Amino acid sequence: MNYPFWNVDIGYGVLMASIAVIHVFVSHFAIGGGLYLVVAETLARRNQDDEKLNLLKKLSKFFVLVSVVFGALTGVGIWFIIGLLNPGATEVLIHNYVWGWATEWTMFITEIAASILYYYGWKHMSGRNHIIIGWIYFIAAWGSLFVINGIITFMLTPGEWIQTGNFWDGFFNPTFWSTLWLRTGVCIMLAGLYSLLVLSREKASDFKVSMVRFNAIWGLAGLLIIVPTMYWYWHVIPQTITDTALKMMPTPIKSLTASFWNVGAIALLLIVFGFIIPRRLHFIAALVIMLLGLSWFGHFEWMRESIRKPYVITDYMYGNAVEVSKKDVYKKQGYLSEIKIRTGDDGKDLFLHSCRTCHTLDGYKPLKPAFNGTDKAFIKSIVLGAHKLKGNMPPFWGTKKEAGLIADHIYKQVDQRDLATIYGLSGQALGAKVYEVRCNRCHEIGGYNDKSEALLTGATEESLGMILDMAGELAPEMPAFTGNAQEKKALIEYLLTVKE
Amino acid sequence: MLLTLPSYDFISAPLWLVTVLHIVTLTLHFLAMNFMVGGLAIVLFGCFKNKQANPIVEKFIRAFPSMMAATVTLGIAPLLFVQLVYAKPVYAASVTSAWFWLMIFMVAMGSYYFLYGAAFSKKFIGIKQRVYLIIALIGFVYVSFVYSATFSMSEHPDVYQALYASNQTGLVLNPNIMSYLFRWMHMLAGAVMVGGFFVVLLGRDNEQAFIVGRRFYLGAFLVSFVLGIAYLFALKDILRLIMRGPAIWILTGSIALSVLSVFWLYKRKIVLTSIALLVSFVGMVVVRHIVRLIYLKGSALAFDPAQIPFQPQWSIFIIFLVCFVLALAAVGYMFKLFYGEQK
Repeated sequence: MNYPFWNVDIGYGVLMASIAVIHVFVSHFAIGGGLYLVVAETLARRNQDDEKLNLLKKLSKFFVLVSVVFGALTGVGIWFIIGLLNPGATEVLIHNYVWGWATEWTMFITEIAASILYYYGWKHMSGRNHIIIGWIYFIAAWGSLFVINGIITFMLTPGEWIQTGNFWDGFFNPTFWSTLWLRTGVCIMLAGLYSLLVLSREKASDFKVSMVRFNAIWGLAGLLIIVPTMYWYWHVIPQTITDTALKMMPTPIKSLTASFWNVGAIALLLIVFGFIIPRRLHFIAALVIMLLGLSWFGHFEWMRESIRKPYVITDYMYGNAVEVSKKDVYKKQGYLSEIKIRTGDDGKDLFLHSCRTCHTLDGYKPLKPAFNGTDKAFIKSIVLGAHKLKGNMPPFWGTKKEAGLIADHIYKQVDQRDLATIYGLSGQALGAKVYEVRCNRCHEIGGYNDKSEALLTGATEESLGMILDMAGELAPEMPAFTGNAQEKKALIEYLLTVKE
Repeated sequence: MLLTLPSYDFISAPLWLVTVLHIVTLTLHFLAMNFMVGGLAIVLFGCFKNKQANPIVEKFIRAFPSMMAATVTLGIAPLLFVQLVYAKPVYAASVTSAWFWLMIFMVAMGSYYFLYGAAFSKKFIGIKQRVYLIIALIGFVYVSFVYSATFSMSEHPDVYQALYASNQTGLVLNPNIMSYLFRWMHMLAGAVMVGGFFVVLLGRDNEQAFIVGRRFYLGAFLVSFVLGIAYLFALKDILRLIMRGPAIWILTGSIALSVLSVFWLYKRKIVLTSIALLVSFVGMVVVRHIVRLIYLKGSALAFDPAQIPFQPQWSIFIIFLVCFVLALAAVGYMFKLFYGEQK
């Protein structure tokens, strides 16, 4: 809360992903590609295979253009975007891991110099010296992964660091090793898939067949590392995090499931085209395999990022930069006294710093549809009980007055007509809508925190009416029912049909 | 337990050490950037006679992508150190101008590809190549302008607070243009001066390149001198504080060395010119650093980096130093392999 808030109509998650996901694709390819090039060159020189060497020269030009330019600049882009989206968390990371990053920078210098010399070295260097530069490139690139992996995994599983504040406790955290090998597998797989794509443009020949096999082996070798390390990774994440994800968060679980399907599809296609019909590898098939690889990786990264919710650094800082250590201060003095740079509108400031990191009003995870047709009292209750909602949101530790200011700010911008008018509904259909808007966020029928059985067993119109009248007293975070009489009647009607 | 979570309000190496590393890496970044920006300006507007044949132009164009790689790589470390020590004002200013700030890396990437496009061309120097280089240069001018505007704003918390209060979309740029216009133009002129030096250095056996480089060196020196003086006067009250501290001596020494470097260049004493230029360059970077400190200390933020608690992390710092030495050794070794065989 020490910083201004960038109020852009694009979801922060989308902004972050648009740069970070592209960067991780390229950076992992840059590491795996380095290993691929140097291993393939060694084999080609040993066998005096000029055709293969020519192909590798072509590959390395693209490799330099992609990794040195695109990889490096999108890496800088990540620095820029994290500083804009969550300067508070970036500050925490930099203060704790500045020398880790500085160490990574030394690897980066070596990596960039090596990649440029490797590319230009094709023209005049001896095989031996050229291969030495290739190996230096790979070692530096993998070293860079080693270091950055410690910082990235720290954010999900800070481990003992939470108690000690010690650099190494945070760096070698519970998910460090599993992720390191998982990412190494990704690097190898992507190198194989990309090379397969380049090769698919070649005319069918014995050379193409042998290279397709070679590249398929790379892809499968990557997968062979990925599958067990993914299992290992999932099981070293503290169970409280994985259980919460399974219970409250559909996004990471969907991503995880999708990633399994991708792995299966990639393996199948690699076996088919790599070993059964290598001569028939067409560009489209290679492109599909490549896209599946990227899709797998994208799903993994999406899962990794979203499973951390509601934190940006687990048990230390929430996604909206609310600091766990300041809980008592917030509860006593509220958020406003901690928001250092203000817009002049208290409700807006509170909204920006409490909600806007994850929600826009009408775009990404929009609030307008969620609150259209409701009222200030309801919105305020939702703010105060945010941590109970499906989706694993951060708690609101500001004062009740501040929650009211946020509610006022949101209410001003939503459709203030009643639900029946907005959606043109009545009867049971209106009741279903009322349930969706007012109840479903905490009590999903047949899903999250489902209370329908307890609520509806033996329920009558009268008993349901009474429950709705005293809803605000049932649990501290439960909002009172503040809908109008028509909505109440429709909701009861709907609940009775659910019972049936 | 809640109140005993680790703090992040600390720096993990002595401030002087971080400052030295910051200044050294920033100087190296500026040198690489100046080679590129100044070199681009001279290649494009240098009026080389017989451009088709002049090997120095080709040498520069071939070298631009590698120098861009060096600029980016060497720019990461000072960005890291500035964020470590000056996180609050720097992030606040960059968030206020978020879109312009974010565009920096995209524009730099575009320029980078245009440099490669020019370097991979077979014809030196054709229309297509010239267009590529102009686009790259425009990109770098944009980057430098946004950097100047944002870092200048970070030194004026009252400006970003007022600006943020009126607009939170990140579509606003520092409106106090007079506070950074001369600074920005001074740095651009300085880049051309350093570019001129590199033209002289790389073309020392080429009389025409030597003359062009020297002409740009002198011209850019005069322009940057005038702009530097204008910038100093634009500092207003800060100027008085500079006059009272060591900064004025460093500045005077740097100017004197710059004048000497021009003199030595005309005497064709390249080694002396390069030493004078480098030392004056470091001096300018130090003065820039002192100006930032004075601004921030006197601002509403009353920010003084000396007040940041120090909690050492020596083990990882030593690993960093070892890796740094290893990296330099590895790069040196690779260059030896590369150029050894080229000879």
